[in-house]
Amino acid sequence: MNFEAVIGLEIHVEMKTRSKMFSSAPVEFGAEPNTLVSPNDIAFPGTMPTVNKQAVINAIRVANALHMSIDNTLVFDRKNYFYSDLPKGYQITQNRRPIGSEGYLEIKTDSVHRIAIERLHLEEDTCKQLHFSEYTLLDYNRSGVPLIEIVSKPDIRTGEEAMKYVEAIRSIVIYADVSDGKMEEGSLRCDVNISLRPSGAEKLGTKVEIKNLNSIANIQKAIDFEIRRQEGLLLTGHPIIQETRRFDETLKETVTMRVKTDAVDYKYFIEPNITPIKLSPDFINAAISSCPELAQVKEKRYLEVQGLNERDASIILQSKDLSKYYDDAAKYTTYYKSLANWVTGEVIAYLNKRNIPIENFFISPAQLATLVNMIEKNEISNKQGRDIFQEMLTNSTNVKEAKEKLNIGTQINDDSVILAYVNEVLNAFPDSIKDYKDGKDRALGFLVGQVMKRSQGKVNPGLTSKLLLEELKKR
Amino acid sequence: MKEINKQVLKDAAKRLLFDMSEEEYDTLLKEFDVITKQMDLIGQIEGIDDHEPMTFPFPCETAYLREDIPAKPLSKEDALKNAKNKTAGQIKLPKVVG
Amino acid sequence: MQFLDLTIRELHNELVKKTVTPLDLVKEAILRAKADNNNAFEYIMEKEAVEMALKLKEPEVDNLFWGIPFAIKDNFSTKDIVTTASSNILAGYVPVFDATVVKKLLDAKAIPIAKTTLDELAMGGSGTTGHLGTTFNPYDKQHEHLIGGSSCGSASSVAASVVPFALGSDTGDSVRKPASYAGLVGFKPTWGRISRLGLFPFATSLDHVGYFTRSVYDAAHLLNLLAGRDVEDATSSDIPVDDYAKLLNTDIKGVKIAIIKEIVDSIYDKSINAAFQKTIASLKIRGAKVEYVSIDRKLLGALFPTYVVISCAEATSNNANLDGIKFGPYQAGKTYEEVMSKARTKGFSELIKRRFVIGSFCLMRENQDVLFLRAQKVRRMIVDKVNDIFKDYDAIFLPASPTPAPKLGEASDRLSDEYLIADNHMVIGNFGGFPSITLPLGFKGKLPFGGNLTAKPFNEAKLLQIANVIEDITGFYNLSVRTAKL
Repeated sequence: MNFEAVIGLEIHVEMKTRSKMFSSAPVEFGAEPNTLVSPNDIAFPGTMPTVNKQAVINAIRVANALHMSIDNTLVFDRKNYFYSDLPKGYQITQNRRPIGSEGYLEIKTDSVHRIAIERLHLEEDTCKQLHFSEYTLLDYNRSGVPLIEIVSKPDIRTGEEAMKYVEAIRSIVIYADVSDGKMEEGSLRCDVNISLRPSGAEKLGTKVEIKNLNSIANIQKAIDFEIRRQEGLLLTGHPIIQETRRFDETLKETVTMRVKTDAVDYKYFIEPNITPIKLSPDFINAAISSCPELAQVKEKRYLEVQGLNERDASIILQSKDLSKYYDDAAKYTTYYKSLANWVTGEVIAYLNKRNIPIENFFISPAQLATLVNMIEKNEISNKQGRDIFQEMLTNSTNVKEAKEKLNIGTQINDDSVILAYVNEVLNAFPDSIKDYKDGKDRALGFLVGQVMKRSQGKVNPGLTSKLLLEELKKR
Repeated sequence: MKEINKQVLKDAAKRLLFDMSEEEYDTLLKEFDVITKQMDLIGQIEGIDDHEPMTFPFPCETAYLREDIPAKPLSKEDALKNAKNKTAGQIKLPKVVG
Repeated sequence: MQFLDLTIRELHNELVKKTVTPLDLVKEAILRAKADNNNAFEYIMEKEAVEMALKLKEPEVDNLFWGIPFAIKDNFSTKDIVTTASSNILAGYVPVFDATVVKKLLDAKAIPIAKTTLDELAMGGSGTTGHLGTTFNPYDKQHEHLIGGSSCGSASSVAASVVPFALGSDTGDSVRKPASYAGLVGFKPTWGRISRLGLFPFATSLDHVGYFTRSVYDAAHLLNLLAGRDVEDATSSDIPVDDYAKLLNTDIKGVKIAIIKEIVDSIYDKSINAAFQKTIASLKIRGAKVEYVSIDRKLLGALFPTYVVISCAEATSNNANLDGIKFGPYQAGKTYEEVMSKARTKGFSELIKRRFVIGSFCLMRENQDVLFLRAQKVRRMIVDKVNDIFKDYDAIFLPASPTPAPKLGEASDRLSDEYLIADNHMVIGNFGGFPSITLPLGFKGKLPFGGNLTAKPFNEAKLLQIANVIEDITGFYNLSVRTAKL
């Protein structure tokens, strides 16, 4: 019997706004515990929520990127339950009227899949718990940080699809400047809901929830394992227990966390401390149009307009800051392929070697573009370009100064001038001509080198090679 | 509607994280009796379900959203000064499992 | 006459003339507070008040509240002053911030001298459920009569002339009912007119900041000081603040007043009916049009259960933060649930727990439709009907209570199954957020009783205009235990 996995993902995105969702306390990471707390975040009696404008703008941006309908009235609900990390005894969220609804995301595995997205809503984070063997410590810095929750419809079928889905969402929230999107740091969290049913069947199987996944790779591993586990149980006539599981990295298996009892009743009701907020069409449009360019849009431009290949595009897009660097440089040159080579080659190599981020890279985008232009216009050779590049980094100079310092003149591209050097060299080294004709290819390189020497490196190496070969044929 | 008996009320109290005495549950049952009778009568008011539930006393839509400017937070001392069980600048609880 | 027996207006004049200083007033108020045996006070701020008074040297002529002592119901957050909401679960809680209304009064150089008692967590109407026990009515030295609630301590302190005004809160009539029993002006404006930041919430959609004074003039000027948009309270209105005293002492010719027939018919006390009718007759003489209107009995009968369902439901959620972990007494346990459970079991009275169970039950998934949501539907029906009345009338006038102050042991906080229309009609003011004021109408024996006036939202100036005329008619300006000719 063949089974089909029915998978839905719930993703929580921690937003990097400057203040919290419902209070003005600062949002910072790595601060000393309980130093970013307002009376609201620790639920002192008489405190009240106020709604963060940027958080709303961010939610609109992401909802728009996911092709969702955006509700023009903001209404919040209370989700009532008790837990040690929930100071108010309720969470302010959006149950009835999420700000975003009915959208989709397209992912590509073997083919293009459209994953429907049910809802996107705003809510607040809980406080952080630090567990020790005998006790737990509470840090309220995180309490109240703005969250976006994105709930997909159960359209995902494999671990790979899930991974692509999460990667796509992560890319959106990073490029939209909404979040750092780091699963290891908790700014992107993913819960998986998975059940199996016989292929072609309509009825859904028993749902298992997988939580506390801390990397995108683990999402795929956990799902792959869970599908095998459930298949194994079903094929041998065992029931699937409705439960919450977590992924054990050492065992590379999902393990039981807790068995699910009846669904919790959160007694939702409309938050009476926040009167409904009208979002005007102007506000919504401004939120959308002010959104930084998303990776998907950049990729389209790289591939379709600038003629980059997929590999280069994907390397550049791996980092928002790197793509910004590339985009800034691309304003000053039209030799995109060459620029991409430089960025994905020399620049990244340098950054990796020195372990510095692109923001600290000395050569500005405009300067790199200048260098690329000079090479592509044959004013200097590729090698000369690399020399200038290194000189700029070593001595913190610009292109012009580096070129001068290295005494690199303008490249000679004139056939007749080069030909004169060529003939000079051929006349001076008749043995090399003989070597070349005997099949020793090294002789060509030697001869090119001699032309370079006599011209103080100014001749265009490609042209030199070409003319040398022509002359060698004649002799 | 859920049937109202002592067990249901005890369960409700447990979920609210407190206990009550047996006598109090008896009193509570009587109070529920009154309320449900009254709500039944309310249910018979003509056209009642044609109306939208009212959360706010009058229409009070606003366009105000708070600018994303951080304000000075409480000092750590002020945040924790009312907490009785704390250590190393954090509130302390028995180990939370699950 | 002792200075504290005066209203704010007269007291201000004496301060400006320098016949008395803020320090004199504060010292006298503290003396009276300490001597008070009505159990009206949670905490007397002797040291703090004296310190503030010492800083006030030159009277501010245009500031009515400069140097005026006042009391604060103990469910308002006061920085560095213990605030308990008269509940054991908040024993020893010292807030780190002031409620907005407290801040406004401090900025105006008024001097708080005490936190007053209330029914626990403001969830009551008898004045008997606070953790310090019953608060008594200063009109009855035998302590046989209650003062109502939940703002019992504030009412008591103003009626006993410990202070000329006191802050309270009104969720179902918790300022306007005790005002009736204590012969005071008890006022709450429109919902959202005064910021609720720092007021411990009972039922958010019904909660109002209110206060007690001994004259309508004082009430109007206090509103001028306290009203206004607070960006930290998202429900506070940005409708511009008016001069709420601007219509005082103006003609009420042509003002239209409605009386709800079914409510008046449900009141049997002869003294109250007589005083009420007398007042109406005088209003007519002054040119007001006074007419009877009708509201379906079924709707009126729904007032009380609707209030119970909505207020208990919201209250359950609003008090879910009380767990002994962040503040309040901590109870050790093996798990966090045990810690919270012990704190809540020990800290809440049985009455409160019953209310919470009711509220929680009404919000449960299976019950919401026929309990919570249906109560919210009836609320809309009632408010729509009252707004209809306000299309043709400027105000609704009714007896505030069916009797004067009840005797201890008579009133019960256990929910009874009588509809009690007469006892609960003022909750209309909370359902629709209507500005509403109680003021003294007369006496039955030694016990006062009041009338209640309600207007449509943001119409406080009109409301206070009419109230001022009623005050003039009855002559009960600056009524207190000390000034009442009993």
